[in-house]
Amino acid sequence: MILPIGPIHPGLKEPLRLKLKTRGEKVLSAEIDYGYVHRGIERVMKNKTWQKGIFLSERVCGICSYIHTQTFAETFEKIAGERAPLRAQYLRVLTNELDRIQSHLLANSTYFKVLEHETLFMYMLSLREPVMDAIELLTGNRVNMGWNVVGGVRMDAEEKHLQSIMKIMNELEEQYDKYVEMFEHGPLLGLRSHDVGRMSRDDAIKARAVGPIGRASGLKHDLREFHHTYRDNFDFKVIWRKEGDNFARTMNRFDEITQSISLIKQVINNLPEGKVRKKIDIPAGYGDWRNEAPRGEVSYMIETNGNLIRNVSIRTPSIMNIDACAKYMLHDVATVADAVATYASVDPCIACTERVVILDESGKNREFQGIHDINIK
Amino acid sequence: MLDSLKDIIRKSSIHVCLINTGGCNGCDIEVVALLSPRYDLEQYGIYVHNNPREADVILVTGAVTEQWREKLQRIYAKAPEPKIVVAIGNCPLSGDVFNQEGSSVYAPVSDFIPVDAEISGCPPRPSEILAAILGVGPDAIAAKGRQKQ
Amino acid sequence: MSSVIWYLYEFARKSWAENFAAAKTDSEIMETPSRFRDFPQVRKEYCIACGACTAACPAPMAIKLVRSEDSAHEEGITYPIINTRGCIRCGFCAEVCPTDPKTLLCGENHLIREEFTILPVDKMFVIDDYLCIKCKKCMKSCKVGDAISEIDNKMVIDQSKCISCGECLKTCPVKGAIKGIFISNVEEQKEIINMVVNTLEARIESEKDKIKKLEPEEIFKIDFPIDELVEKSREIIKNDELIKDTLEKITDRLKMNIITWDDEKCKNCRLCVKECPSGAITYDEEKGVQRNPKKCLKCSICYQTCPFGVAGFYVARFLLSETSMDDGVIHITLKAAQLPIRS
Repeated sequence: MILPIGPIHPGLKEPLRLKLKTRGEKVLSAEIDYGYVHRGIERVMKNKTWQKGIFLSERVCGICSYIHTQTFAETFEKIAGERAPLRAQYLRVLTNELDRIQSHLLANSTYFKVLEHETLFMYMLSLREPVMDAIELLTGNRVNMGWNVVGGVRMDAEEKHLQSIMKIMNELEEQYDKYVEMFEHGPLLGLRSHDVGRMSRDDAIKARAVGPIGRASGLKHDLREFHHTYRDNFDFKVIWRKEGDNFARTMNRFDEITQSISLIKQVINNLPEGKVRKKIDIPAGYGDWRNEAPRGEVSYMIETNGNLIRNVSIRTPSIMNIDACAKYMLHDVATVADAVATYASVDPCIACTERVVILDESGKNREFQGIHDINIK
Repeated sequence: MLDSLKDIIRKSSIHVCLINTGGCNGCDIEVVALLSPRYDLEQYGIYVHNNPREADVILVTGAVTEQWREKLQRIYAKAPEPKIVVAIGNCPLSGDVFNQEGSSVYAPVSDFIPVDAEISGCPPRPSEILAAILGVGPDAIAAKGRQKQ
Repeated sequence: MSSVIWYLYEFARKSWAENFAAAKTDSEIMETPSRFRDFPQVRKEYCIACGACTAACPAPMAIKLVRSEDSAHEEGITYPIINTRGCIRCGFCAEVCPTDPKTLLCGENHLIREEFTILPVDKMFVIDDYLCIKCKKCMKSCKVGDAISEIDNKMVIDQSKCISCGECLKTCPVKGAIKGIFISNVEEQKEIINMVVNTLEARIESEKDKIKKLEPEEIFKIDFPIDELVEKSREIIKNDELIKDTLEKITDRLKMNIITWDDEKCKNCRLCVKECPSGAITYDEEKGVQRNPKKCLKCSICYQTCPFGVAGFYVARFLLSETSMDDGVIHITLKAAQLPIRS
């Protein structure tokens, strides 16, 4: 029997259709339909200046909105062959890690909510609020921050702001271990999480799983290792696990939060003086850049004529992770409840995924002006 | 007598269905943040359940995309009377940054279903959403309920 | 076991019981913090109506420049208004606002410096290489250092430096060599063009009977005052400069084909029905051959096909003689096409 879930469903926060093929309570396989939130963002971004494009790129996804602007800005900086001032780079790391913490806490809270563990759900959200405060204090907005520009960041952080962020981080670190222990040793949560939705390393490679989902399955790959700011200035180690089940994915996120806190402390302790923004003249050209978003790898490919964006292509991690989930994790799952929990543990972000790539097998080049032009047989 | 009793019940137990009709997700996570202990929406008897069949309030976030044009009306029809629709964020109000040449959004939402209250901001802060919901929500539902009779 | 103890511990706290009894959100929580970037504040008195904010705004309907009514004592002032239903609170308008002190305020601690300011560009200037005589007058008159330069023996405007002041257009001795293109309001421009073309067509349609009697070499003239068109365009967009520009461009380039139809001459041979590419001509047992003007593409195939001269084909040209926006006149000249009739 086919059990459809979504697009509006108590278990899902975002519109998406899960089609579970079931026999009795057992889930045999799953199929996922997207396309509910396709807005045509890449098409809108064409023929706009970067000043407008950066605010559009921010709205590709609301949860990891920060990393989209950073990647957008760094792509332009790469085209120009320059880098932002060092202080701006440090501040970018700071915001990136704060964004990662709030995103991971939200992802884990959603997982606990799906497991109907309301207590941990509430604790995760209450931990998240101070982090949102820190983001708001630093950037001036909670979700879509509008903080990155090509050549640096828009607002400088004063000493008192940094100190209050430090305070928030210390408090978070103190409380945080308690809740991690609740998850790690909690018997009921353990029963629902261990050995559920397992994906092996080979499958993860086949599915191109990225981010915490890939790392929980043993793919030791984190783009922050290769990013120039992290590589040159920070003490950073890739966090990964071998189990590849729901427990590993959730724990991997918890561990990454610990690491993010330590990175934020490094930033605040070693923040160099100097400018936070410089003017960058952008020549015509093509550039691409990859960054580690909370959910994995996000890459931008931009072609510009020096003033306007001629072409842009965005690749976000969720599309690979959701497909990995559908193909390799939701395969012979014991119950439907476990299937939904597995889906939540992948931390899907639907708003990220919705872009259209059309491959024509005949090899001809054709131009489409929107999703309505396409006739798919 | 019966009416006032109904009013009290309608005001104190509100089920909410959240529909993302194609936004950036930012407003959705701000609604989730409203559930957090700091803002604690549930202490006012408001329960976000995402089920249109038992919803009193439909929260719409997001500009209307191609797929949602008909589905949104179907979901609205499924919600029982009395119901109010609250548009959260700029996307349902004006289409925000997406409503430009070449995009595939059909904002505003009020073209498709009647909107009773709106909260602007991209995204609005949880405190703004909370103030707006408490300001209009319970009374509007009670008023709608009376209107039907 | 440990988690059960944790639950009991949490429920036993006094603060939990207190919060349970009285449902109220702290007023502290409802306050917005100091560094929060709220909707921009407008201080009307400083505005210089440069339009930098509207050009920089990434949201399409967030900010608009309006002009208040003139009063007895003084002229109305122009100032931006923020549409909160469209504003995304990015604060970019405040960043680009060039006035001192700022007309727009949004958030605190913005790094506002001259070099990051982007200037208003709702008009893009381009040089038509075909018409340019390379007198370099524009280069001398340009207010920005090196926005206009000579590259490969061609005059080129650097769009990233151009501030759209329009000085080059004024000094250019060749009409049409420098073009100012309105890059915003494309939709409105389309609407105006459609409206003007439809109105002109209707005007010519009304003179049908005279046109049918035209001799092959005779020229038919109509004068069409533009005040009505200008009024209608102002309803679409209140920008006289744009309307004038659009009207000028339309009348410069427009060439309209007119098809007339003489039912009395028709012998119902139905040759044209097959030829018509858009299916505008149909045949009915009772009514005979019928032409639907709404479907007509004005391709003149029926004129070339018809052996009886039912269809007439005329070409109309337009010239705008303008003294001002209100009493300008469009001269319409119309004459029979020189197209041979297919035998």
